[in-house]
Amino acid sequence: MPAETHTTREPISPEEVFAIVKANLCEILEVAEDLILRESRFVEDLDADSLALIELVEALEEDFGERTVGFSVDDEDISDMKTVGDAVDYVIARLGSAAA
Amino acid sequence: MGGDRAPGEIVAGALQAVETLGVEVLLFGREDAITSLLPNGTTPVGVTVIGCSEVIEMTDDPARSIRSKKDASVVRCAEAVRDGAADAMVGAGNTGATMGSALLRMGRIKGVSRPAVAVPIPVPFSHPHLLVDAGATVDASPEWLVQFALMGRAFSSLRFGVENPMVGLLSNGEEPGKGDDLRKKTFDLLNGQPWFAGNAEGRDFMTGHPEVLVTDGFTGNVALKAMEAALKAAAGLVFTVLGSTEETRKAADVVTGPLLQAVTDYLDPDTFGGAALLGVDGVCIISHGSSSSRAIVNACSLATDCVTGNLVALMKETIQNAG
Repeated sequence: MPAETHTTREPISPEEVFAIVKANLCEILEVAEDLILRESRFVEDLDADSLALIELVEALEEDFGERTVGFSVDDEDISDMKTVGDAVDYVIARLGSAAA
Repeated sequence: MGGDRAPGEIVAGALQAVETLGVEVLLFGREDAITSLLPNGTTPVGVTVIGCSEVIEMTDDPARSIRSKKDASVVRCAEAVRDGAADAMVGAGNTGATMGSALLRMGRIKGVSRPAVAVPIPVPFSHPHLLVDAGATVDASPEWLVQFALMGRAFSSLRFGVENPMVGLLSNGEEPGKGDDLRKKTFDLLNGQPWFAGNAEGRDFMTGHPEVLVTDGFTGNVALKAMEAALKAAAGLVFTVLGSTEETRKAADVVTGPLLQAVTDYLDPDTFGGAALLGVDGVCIISHGSSSSRAIVNACSLATDCVTGNLVALMKETIQNAG
């Protein structure tokens, strides 16, 4: 397994991914944690603007990049992330492909 | 290196800043375009050219471009501040990209919800007052406007030496009940603060009272552009009248020149050079898109003052004390 793609820790659960996404959103958007649900829409429900979404993406790349070398979010995929759940599912899928 | 008059005016201004302010300047942009503007094509002492291969156009989406155009001058410039290679950044290009690069690369000050642009508004025979926010945060919440008020007050004291600056909430009437939902909720949050002057109106611009006018970035930007256009139209009208007859032209010979030039200089946005972006973890000066070399010199001067005056530390302290 090439060094640049190996996972450095135990596999992460969907709940842990959701918790990390949620923690970042709380900090970026300054909203209470219990307001962030998987089905929350970034724009309509959480008032996230385009810069806030980029802040989230970069924070996720930093957090998950520490766990899985090579983890990144493709720019063209960002517009497909409409809800918190979309982001969580995307991260899980990318973690899987980065670790494969 | 962006701006309507880039790279010529920007490079000329930077070279003047090195000479007159004694600062060192890093020029980020297309290397060949910059170098061709340097005296004899050589880089003077105090100037460093950093070649960047990408450009964020005025039509680009700022947020996306910052990620997709990593070698754009505005992104590299913000990274230089973040990494300590530069003390401050000055940008006259795409305002959204400048603001976004500062926010994403330097980061937000802890506790700051959203950054705000603090534009100095000229006040005849007095120090300028501040308009906060002039365009950084288009959709704002009442709590964010309270932070803009706090940061604006601190900046007013730092930049203009105003003791205990008063803050007005820009609205469509001075009575407490005036305004939309955002204004009414913000009023309630600010009410009771000894430095809150209540609602302010558009007519309070350029009067100096209150010293800080707070609003959301959408309203602030519209108000600023309207004021600039009105001043330009009024100045154009004066010069047209002065040149309309032989008699007025003779009169104009007396009042134009140094007298009227001093007035127009004072009202010219280039005099202030730019606006400070408050709330980011570094010094960022956003200059007008049409900045001349004079504006760039003044923007570098403002940046220097913000660095020596510890703007970032002041903002951190202000937000921290607000709890």
